[in-house]
Amino acid sequence: MNMKLGMLTFATAATAVVAAAGCGTAYPAPTQRLADAQSANRSAMELGADKQPDAQLHYKLSEEQIAKANVVLKDGDNKRADMMLIRAKADAELALALAKEAKAKQEAQQAAEQAKTQTQAVQGAAQ
Amino acid sequence: MKTLTMSSLGALVLFAVGCGSTVPPELVSARSAYDRASKGPSAQLNPAGLHSAKETLDAAEHSFDDDGDSQDTKDLAYTAERRAQTAEARAREMQAVSQKDEIVKATQAYKDSKGQQTAAELAQAKKMLATTSVQLENEKKNREEAERRAAEAQKLLAGFATVKAEPRGMVITLSGSVLFASDKSELLGTAKTKLNQVADSLKEDGRDITILGHTDSQGNDDYNVKLSQRRADAVRQYLISRGVDQNKVKAEGKGKAEPIADNASPEGRANNRRVEIVLGPKTEAK
Repeated sequence: MNMKLGMLTFATAATAVVAAAGCGTAYPAPTQRLADAQSANRSAMELGADKQPDAQLHYKLSEEQIAKANVVLKDGDNKRADMMLIRAKADAELALALAKEAKAKQEAQQAAEQAKTQTQAVQGAAQ
Repeated sequence: MKTLTMSSLGALVLFAVGCGSTVPPELVSARSAYDRASKGPSAQLNPAGLHSAKETLDAAEHSFDDDGDSQDTKDLAYTAERRAQTAEARAREMQAVSQKDEIVKATQAYKDSKGQQTAAELAQAKKMLATTSVQLENEKKNREEAERRAAEAQKLLAGFATVKAEPRGMVITLSGSVLFASDKSELLGTAKTKLNQVADSLKEDGRDITILGHTDSQGNDDYNVKLSQRRADAVRQYLISRGVDQNKVKAEGKGKAEPIADNASPEGRANNRRVEIVLGPKTEAK
């Protein structure tokens, strides 16, 4: 009986250890995800997303979510931090895309204006 | 029996949780964002971006099926919406870039075509300018030549005739008494010498020549017209004999019709008896 109890206690303890170990290793700290989100956020800023009206909101959301993820990471909630960083990266990438879109549109507009000026100049010279 | 009851209750509870989960707003927005993106230019221009959004949306849908409106479902839906929006923004960026390229290309093509056109126009203009310059130079030479001849004629005819520029042309007026004896239409010898000089300056000239004979008012009108005609003819014939092109010279007798002085005085009548050589505009030889 004692022997039986001993076996049961061991099994329970082993299960508890395994479970505890499982919880500890199942979700590692999302360091790569953090680096990716920070890199995307930096790229967005370098392209002027922090100043471009359409991109600005998503740039700020990305920044805030990275900051929150860092706090959650310190608390040891790796999974929550990971999800926050996925959101942060998605916002940073959207901010970057919106900034690039605005830049491309502005360049197209400039090209159209230049074309108009140059066309008028050529017509003026021909007359 | 007890076990069965517990199982049924558990299933019921789970079913109730599933049914009770309302679709989180994040998932509603994500579905809508993906739907919009898939119908827009991203489908053609950015299928990879759209695919990434679809994968995330599917993950969100599975999460919702499995866990209802859990935080994971919301996070995945949030991410799916951003990815759909990113796919759209990239497609719009590509459109703008391609628009810009087309504008630049079209402008360059326009400039090139205009440049070629302008070069051709410039060559044509230069050619025209050169032709015009030659024409102007020729005209200038002709004018100078005419002026020189007029000056020479003036000099030669001094005391024998007057040369005057009038609206009808340059008019050389020869006194009748210098050319003809009274009531005659044969040229005097001295007149011929003087007319030689006139003929020399006229024969190279391309202008039409009209020789007009005039008399004073004395005598019969008909007679005067005929006398003035004979005198004009005499001068014409003489000029032709000296080399002036006969096709360019005509003669006309005006009689007393166009006096230039008062017929009441002898001086006036002497002035009215005259022959005028009118040089008209220059014409091509016939």
